[in-house]
Amino acid sequence: MATEVAIAPSHNEEPHLNVNYLKAEKGVWSWLTTLDHKRIGVMYLCSVTLAFFLGGMFALLIRLELLTPGRTIMGAATYNRVFTLHGAIMVFLFIIPSIPAALGNFVLPIMLGAKDVAFPRLNLMSLYIYVIGAVFCLFSIVSGAVDTGWTFYTPYSTTSSSSVVSMTLGVFILGFSSILTGLNFIVTIHKLRAPGMHWRRLPLFVWGMYATSVIQVLATPVLAITLALLAAERLLGLGIFDASLGGDPVLFQHFFWFYSHPAVYIMIVPGMAIVSELFATFSRRAIFGYFAIAMSSLGLALLGFLVWGHHMFTSGQSEFATMVFSGLTMLVAIPSGVKVFNWTATLYKGSIWLATPMLYALSFLVLFTIGGLTGLFLGTLSVDIHLHDTYFVVAHFHYVMMGGTVMAFVGGLLYWWPKITGKLYNEPAAKVSWAFVFVGFNAVFIAQFIMGSRGMPRRYYDYVPEFRPYHAFSTYGSWVLAVGFFILAGVLVQSLLRGAKAPPNPWGSAGFEWNTASPPVFSNFIDTPTITRGPYDYHEATEEELFDGFPEDFKKTES
Amino acid sequence: MSTATNDHVSDHSHGHDDSDGEVHAHVNSPLFMISIFAVLIVLTVVTVAVSYVDLGPANTFVAIFIATMKASLVATFFMHLKGDKPIHSIIFIGAFVFLAIFLGLSNDDLATRGAVDADNGAHRLQRSGAVAPGGLQTPAAPASAEPAAAGEHH
Amino acid sequence: MSSATTTEAPKAAESGHGSGHHHPFLAHHFDNPVHQFDSAKLGMWIFIATEILMFGGLFVAYGIFRGQEPEMFHQAHERLDKIMGAVNTVVLLFSSLTAALAVRQSQVGDRKGTTRWLVITLICACIFLVVKFFEYQHKFHDGLLPGHYFTAHLAQHAHHGHTLPYRAHMFFALYFMMTGLHGVHVLLGMGVLSWVLKKNLAGDFSKQYFTPVEIGALYWHLVDLVWIYLFPLLYLVG
Repeated sequence: MATEVAIAPSHNEEPHLNVNYLKAEKGVWSWLTTLDHKRIGVMYLCSVTLAFFLGGMFALLIRLELLTPGRTIMGAATYNRVFTLHGAIMVFLFIIPSIPAALGNFVLPIMLGAKDVAFPRLNLMSLYIYVIGAVFCLFSIVSGAVDTGWTFYTPYSTTSSSSVVSMTLGVFILGFSSILTGLNFIVTIHKLRAPGMHWRRLPLFVWGMYATSVIQVLATPVLAITLALLAAERLLGLGIFDASLGGDPVLFQHFFWFYSHPAVYIMIVPGMAIVSELFATFSRRAIFGYFAIAMSSLGLALLGFLVWGHHMFTSGQSEFATMVFSGLTMLVAIPSGVKVFNWTATLYKGSIWLATPMLYALSFLVLFTIGGLTGLFLGTLSVDIHLHDTYFVVAHFHYVMMGGTVMAFVGGLLYWWPKITGKLYNEPAAKVSWAFVFVGFNAVFIAQFIMGSRGMPRRYYDYVPEFRPYHAFSTYGSWVLAVGFFILAGVLVQSLLRGAKAPPNPWGSAGFEWNTASPPVFSNFIDTPTITRGPYDYHEATEEELFDGFPEDFKKTES
Repeated sequence: MSTATNDHVSDHSHGHDDSDGEVHAHVNSPLFMISIFAVLIVLTVVTVAVSYVDLGPANTFVAIFIATMKASLVATFFMHLKGDKPIHSIIFIGAFVFLAIFLGLSNDDLATRGAVDADNGAHRLQRSGAVAPGGLQTPAAPASAEPAAAGEHH
Repeated sequence: MSSATTTEAPKAAESGHGSGHHHPFLAHHFDNPVHQFDSAKLGMWIFIATEILMFGGLFVAYGIFRGQEPEMFHQAHERLDKIMGAVNTVVLLFSSLTAALAVRQSQVGDRKGTTRWLVITLICACIFLVVKFFEYQHKFHDGLLPGHYFTAHLAQHAHHGHTLPYRAHMFFALYFMMTGLHGVHVLLGMGVLSWVLKKNLAGDFSKQYFTPVEIGALYWHLVDLVWIYLFPLLYLVG
């Protein structure tokens, strides 16, 4: 469907449906009450960006404190609160909603050729639930903050004098926002695919969202009940997690990780979903192993439920269970490897265009591979006994969560930026920001791999002088990283204010979402599209046709 | 998205969609539903009655078995899983599969949690005193001749 | 694809796709009533799966602690009132039947019948809560409370000359969490059914559109399903 068609004035009785969604209705109230998935996605995007900024500030404070041994800028009790808030905000307020609720909300229905998600009101409700949950978390910060670590392990969390209850309540509420998004996406993918959109034509982003949604729906309720039990434990002295009352604190860890390990896949699978799109678009090749990538997303979703005990190897869990969990953990390498090899094969002999989103995608490939392979070290029982709760673990999950998901998120944000805002951004400046982010990130965390393997424990306020060079290097890296993100913010603001108008398909992608105008019209499509090809059929068009619209899509429109 | 005019592949083109897009419900007779209710009541009476008889561990088994029969009746007939789209049954049963994973792998730890036996350094199950799997082998202790952890798995 | 596709207003003003019918309830992104109905139902089933996993956490805790101390659980469960539990089971099963009948009547377009069965369902829910209230009151009186508030191990709460071991507070912690969460779901279910009843009285439903009745009833059956397991596990075998 060509843009010309989309923009042309039509026979529509409701003219605002053919206007771009940003201008279809005016005023703040029209945003706050909108049922349009695109606007909800944009509001989510603003919220998670704020959360990322806040969590990033806490990260910089942590690194600054650790610049020197002993006190640098804050006391030990404050330090405990700062690293807890960094973790809790980044996990619950940023990374879990980032890709699904913000980018997914915007892109997924358009990719499917749908006018909206299946339950638009539920979608808006999920946004407000997110905001309410965030308010509780912020309330906890101003009322004394939390010092238990984002994992709320008992008995810390049952004995801590910090405001654990309001934070757990906040996270409890955020969980429902996540459940509703997942539920909405599953039904949308099942029921609202455009004519011709077979399961085997689903873009890989959609497959990734599907797998993510399944996890959100099945794992998040367990977090809810866990936090409810924790709150009851604090308020009533329930005893279920309290050894002195006959309970079992390790049971809390089982409950917590039954959610939080699958939650790791809520975080990484959407990142994988985005880079699958990016590799195809910027290599100008059909994605290699489409079906294998799609199924490996579902495989990760399933395996994510079987391996949570690997967080508990040194917790007093039985040896039998640690062996079982260690064995199951190794299986995760299979779908992860399937993805990495298929992406690499996609690049092979591709016509590679090193636009900034592609640079982020390539960063993902490198950093996720490092993060994933170090995960195998940690899943190995004997090695983990040495590495458990050291900076090696911190570096490992930052390579996956930040080197993986955040890189993919930024890549996806830049990739879909022209679609979302209708504006182009300054490509050279964006490349500069990428260079800072990539170098800064590696500086921060490679130092942590080394000191972790030498025994520097995580979450410690103080350290022996031998570790000082690593900590200092890591802190300098964090400043480079921060500069990178500030340049990126500048690039995006500049684009909003003075960016050139974006064409409908600035990347020449074969993805269906580029068949709409930039920004899309209120109802996404003037006429419901009929899908006649796959999302990666680069071989069916010349380079010019990629930018102007597929000949096949034109034929449909004319007839 | 018009179902009537094209090679529509969404799930909603299957099931009780008679191509006119209107809802045609599968209506049960009230008498049938009342008889299902009667069966549920009978099962309730049976399970309460059995609870007065001491069958040992079998009590639990019978109670859960009858509860599952009742739950299946409610899901199949009152919640219309019968004659409905298979995906709904898959989701419903799938939830229990994941619950079983949750219980199974948690219990995998809790039921095999060992304690170091101070006398010989072997890991033993707290409850039965049997040798825990994964622990050091007991050097032929006379009191614990039984094989590793026999009878402690549920 | 005719131009009719583009004439839909976001507020579900109309649709039809050439079928000639106008459905005021049909949202703009659905093709036809059956499409919307199936989507709503799929969403509800996914939500039911979510609820199963949420209650599942408590059942897992129950299973694990019961596995550790079966004797204590057995002793403690004898303090629950089997008869009251059985009465509540029958009440909930009956309410499930009436909810199913309400759906049945709305399927055939019988508005009055739907109203009647919904009201009976709500009355059953109230009876359930009243019985539950008396049960809770009795437990409070006997000091059979969770955690720090548990006093049934003290002599003044001896039952037929026996006191419970102190660790029995674990059983009552689980009892109150499980029945409490279930009670919250009963209240939520009553809220949903009242809203359905209000819409039914306003004449919003027809043979073509009874989705809220169906969805509300599904939720109510879920409340019943959870109780079907809670009753034997807490009251009968402990």
